[in-house]
Amino acid sequence: MNTNGNFYTFIYTAVIVVAVAAVLAFVSQSLKARQEANEKADTISQMMTAAGFATKAEFQKMGNAAVLARYAEEIGSAVLVNVQGEQVGELDLSEVFSPADLKKQNYLLKGDKAEARIPVFTFKNGIIVVPVYGAGLWGPVWGYIAFEPPSGGQFDIKGAYFDHESETAGLGAKIKDDPAFQAEFQGESPDFHADRIFEIVKGGSLKEDGEEVLDNQVDAITGATMTSQGLEAAINTWLEAYAKYFIANEPTDDVETSNEED
Amino acid sequence: MNAKIKETLLNPIFKGNPITVLVLGICSSLAVTVTLKGALVMTLSVIVVTGISSLILSLLRNTIPSRVRIIVQLVVVAMMVILVDQVLKSFEATYAIDKQLSVYIGLIITNCIVMGRIEAFALGNKPWPSFLDGVANGAGYGLILLVVAFFRELLGSGTLFGVDILCRFGYVTNNLVILPPFALILLGCIVWIQRSVQKDLQEK
Repeated sequence: MNTNGNFYTFIYTAVIVVAVAAVLAFVSQSLKARQEANEKADTISQMMTAAGFATKAEFQKMGNAAVLARYAEEIGSAVLVNVQGEQVGELDLSEVFSPADLKKQNYLLKGDKAEARIPVFTFKNGIIVVPVYGAGLWGPVWGYIAFEPPSGGQFDIKGAYFDHESETAGLGAKIKDDPAFQAEFQGESPDFHADRIFEIVKGGSLKEDGEEVLDNQVDAITGATMTSQGLEAAINTWLEAYAKYFIANEPTDDVETSNEED
Repeated sequence: MNAKIKETLLNPIFKGNPITVLVLGICSSLAVTVTLKGALVMTLSVIVVTGISSLILSLLRNTIPSRVRIIVQLVVVAMMVILVDQVLKSFEATYAIDKQLSVYIGLIITNCIVMGRIEAFALGNKPWPSFLDGVANGAGYGLILLVVAFFRELLGSGTLFGVDILCRFGYVTNNLVILPPFALILLGCIVWIQRSVQKDLQEK
């Protein structure tokens, strides 16, 4: 048979492509449920890592079922808010806000802000967790920032966990892999009244004596300027969207209150 | 086992190793050898992809129009890579490691070993030897990967398969070993050792 004719070539490639597409579609459909279960447990463990319940490695050892059980035990409420800081809905506690959901809301935050519905997770011990999402160098970056139960007039960060799709291993990927980078966020307090709520700066978040220059700055990652800038933009876009919610729920300053009582 | 099959199986592992002799697949061997677990999963994935793609393309070899043969090879290899990735994502045990290897599983398609062996061997040989050739080349690649990963995890993190080996004796982990350049240095040493053992590899 002549396998080099034009007609044969067209038919052959068409058949191969359709056959491969059919196989891939079938496999994708049949494995979808399992993959979504893995992603859900992963998302929950990222939130709980930020909130300091355990480390990511410990959650990985626990397995999916144990992660979900722990979450059900600890989570207090999950609500949706708009950029005006008003609560506009509630999330089913058995559901999570997946990176795909974050992507949708991120799109709205960049355009039709008023339509955005962003989640606030509050654990029973008072820790508040909010997500952030944005563009890194090669693909999306996202993460979760956990705040201590509000006190003393500001919101202190309890912890943060970041993830990415395809940042460079050893450089941008450090936002996920370098515990030291994530640890920098602990104890910082974003300034919800400022234009730039949070900053990731180049070599200058600490003074020579180790004191912090500002409470809302951490050091960027060397060799990963674009990823650092992308993450900074992600954090600012999202915290800005949450600003009114946080300001509305701002704790009354303990000192001032006591003065007034006097 | 006849001599030819034996040759097909053993040659890619030592004498004609795809990494150290053919110098294929260097890029991914720098990227995925930080931990032994990652290297092992990558090895198994590559063995599956090379073996089965070679088998499929060898079965099809007499029907493929020669003008589009590279495209057909690409489609089949891409399908295998996506299948492997999807399966790794589906199991609890491999989900985290798939995330860690991230783009490199998808990039198996660009690993020259896969297309190289299909073009050089599978298109001219019967299915069974082609399958063995694919598996053996994947294994030859994986062997080097595991050797490099062994040293990088041991010296870089002080662990093997995540189990603490050196740190309990007060070993301070070496960050240089974690970074990609050290994999290149190690690969160089392996090539050096292999060429001093197998004198026929040395150029006159």
